[in-house]
Amino acid sequence: MFYQKTIEQIKTDTRPSSAGAKAFYNNPKYRGWIYQSLLLIFLIAFFYSIISNTLSNMAAQGIKSGFGFMTTSAGFDVLMSLIPFETTDSYTKVFIIGILNTILVSIIGVICSTMLGFIFGIAYFSRNWLIKKISIIYVETFRNIPVILQVLFWYTAVLTTLPSTRDSLSIGEAFFLNIRGLYIPRLIDEPKSFVVYIAIVIAIVAIFFLRRWARKRQDLTGEQFPLIWSSLGILLGLPLLALFIAGVPFHFEYPELKGFNFQGGINVIPELMALAIAMSIYTGAFIAEAVRAGIQSVPHGQTEAARSIGLKERKIMSLIIVPQAMRVITPMLNSEYQSLVKNTTIATAIGYPELFTVFAGSALNQVGQAIEMMFMSLAIYFALNMMISFIMNQFNKRVAITTR
Amino acid sequence: MPIKEFKPLPAQPAPVSTTGPIAWLKNNLFSSPFNIVATLLILSGLFLILPGLIDWLFISANWTGTTQDACVDDGACWVFIRAWSQQIFYGSYPSGELWRVNLCLFLLAVVIYLSFILPINLRNKVAIPAFLALPFVCLLFLDGRYLGLEYVNTDYWGGFSLNILLAAASIIIAFPFGFLWALGRRSNLPFAQSVSVICIEFFRGTPVLALFFMGSVMLPLFFPEGVTVDKLLRVWIILILFMSAYMAEVFRSGFQAIPNGQYEAADSIGLGYWQKTFFIIFPQVIKVSMPNILATFIMVFKNTVFLLVIAVPEILQVILGALTNSKWLGGHATEGFLFVALVFWACCYSMSMLSTSIEKKLDTSHKH
Repeated sequence: MFYQKTIEQIKTDTRPSSAGAKAFYNNPKYRGWIYQSLLLIFLIAFFYSIISNTLSNMAAQGIKSGFGFMTTSAGFDVLMSLIPFETTDSYTKVFIIGILNTILVSIIGVICSTMLGFIFGIAYFSRNWLIKKISIIYVETFRNIPVILQVLFWYTAVLTTLPSTRDSLSIGEAFFLNIRGLYIPRLIDEPKSFVVYIAIVIAIVAIFFLRRWARKRQDLTGEQFPLIWSSLGILLGLPLLALFIAGVPFHFEYPELKGFNFQGGINVIPELMALAIAMSIYTGAFIAEAVRAGIQSVPHGQTEAARSIGLKERKIMSLIIVPQAMRVITPMLNSEYQSLVKNTTIATAIGYPELFTVFAGSALNQVGQAIEMMFMSLAIYFALNMMISFIMNQFNKRVAITTR
Repeated sequence: MPIKEFKPLPAQPAPVSTTGPIAWLKNNLFSSPFNIVATLLILSGLFLILPGLIDWLFISANWTGTTQDACVDDGACWVFIRAWSQQIFYGSYPSGELWRVNLCLFLLAVVIYLSFILPINLRNKVAIPAFLALPFVCLLFLDGRYLGLEYVNTDYWGGFSLNILLAAASIIIAFPFGFLWALGRRSNLPFAQSVSVICIEFFRGTPVLALFFMGSVMLPLFFPEGVTVDKLLRVWIILILFMSAYMAEVFRSGFQAIPNGQYEAADSIGLGYWQKTFFIIFPQVIKVSMPNILATFIMVFKNTVFLLVIAVPEILQVILGALTNSKWLGGHATEGFLFVALVFWACCYSMSMLSTSIEKKLDTSHKH
């Protein structure tokens, strides 16, 4: 039947029949295969030449291949590590330390930038002229300055002007800020501390069930339950109760000045501080922009409709505007978080020992096996980004429009 | 009886409480208790910070002089920027040959200007070849060997002009690659499609710094033995590949914005695949993608600063070098960084303004 013919068929049918029209190279199907085989041949030649060049270059320069280096001793110290590290430990451990440090700065960055982004993104809609202007200035300033410049600024221009260890800025002899970084007290467990941890787990489970119950009840009866306050009460109350029942099984280890340096407590090195501050501010500006765009994407009629059924302004924001804005914001958050993780590599400029600095930098300089080590590092970044993508997609499914 | 003429009374001015500066203040700064507190807090914060800042930046800053000794006042030492201004903008390019850098920047401006003012029938025919030829013309001039000028090694290229030219040269060459990858990703040839997807996702998923590192440690291994490829050229290749991936995604969203009827209309008048793509689809894709292309350019422009990690003397690397110069050890990091920040901010902000205005011009939908 005529109407079942595709456009391609019609074209070949109605063309004046010349010798070329029926030639096989004018058939789109064969033509596609020809193009693809040309592409394949090109790729094979390309990779063959790259691989053979690489192999001969490596042989000429005496570079070994394989992953034997992973078990040899690194022989250099790492500025900061979350797990104990000796200079005699292997490159595998260096790799793991790098990954942990990358994850640490990424998590700090994601949390802080999200907070900054939402605060400034919502501030854009403030009725207060000053607050709105500050939001605009924040976004337009920090978005348009290269992030590496911001990191260097915080590191070189701000944090190196801090006082020496002897004249540290301190809050109540517990928190100290000086040129070597920030010192905060460390929480030390005592034998009975497990009671508190169990209480925290119980509280979280209880909140989970409470939510389900409250939602069901609201669906059935329409009655609302003060979920946020009761959850907060459970989350704080239960562990506090456990804390006192177990007789406060914790104590703080305060940093103390001994000789020229502080001992004890947790030391947040200035490299980490500079990187975390710059990352949070830079990505925060992009997230603020995303939040603004998201809220603006909700038609004004929604607000008016909500007002007309008598919702209060705060309820309008939390029940009508934000859930709809999240549909626009979530995909943008996904890409911002991914670029945050990728941007942590600029730690190289200030020497914070994340994966790229310590493994693709210091370790690579010693071992020299560029190909293996670069691909190992890249694989981690791909894995981290896929993880973020997976989590955000799960979240996106919950906020996306559900058509009934 | 004559009808009495109707004489309206002159309109009364609006009450003071709804117009004028007082009402504005009341509505915008002091509308609720929360706003009153917020306004007062912000104002007091500004009063604490601003006078000192302005004093440091302008009033007690040092503006004139040539050496560090000229910085006698407490404020910022802008003499530092003045003394290094040539390096900051041109790197260590020989002083007598600076006209070549200026010529390249001028040509770039001319080509961009041409692509806006040319009549529509000439635009694609003239502007596209001009754009594509530009990087190579600039290369010839900056290098100088083949034009009978003094040869300037790429080690001497640098400064802010390098940031601009490198970003522009990368995005120009990335255009055809990105377009090809985007076409590949959309095509129904399975192998071509998967190759494009792998290319795009690899270069988008890799941190740009890792790419630069690969360019400096891995790329030399890929070339035949004995062939040494210039560092800047390697950086350029990396930037082109990186940009192509982002441009491919920009074009892909552009393709999606073209209504299906355009393809069908092109088919119905008997155009072939490439004719259809170049005469019907491409001009429309460029038009709708313009804001995103600009956004991508801003991104690569900011990313050129990352090159300092592999010691390419771009603007920030020049500043860092100047900070360790034995004659300028007075700690001028803040001035230097603020200056670079200002330069980048001015460029990126004006480009994002341009992109917003194009977006508004293109957006003919009626939003409420």
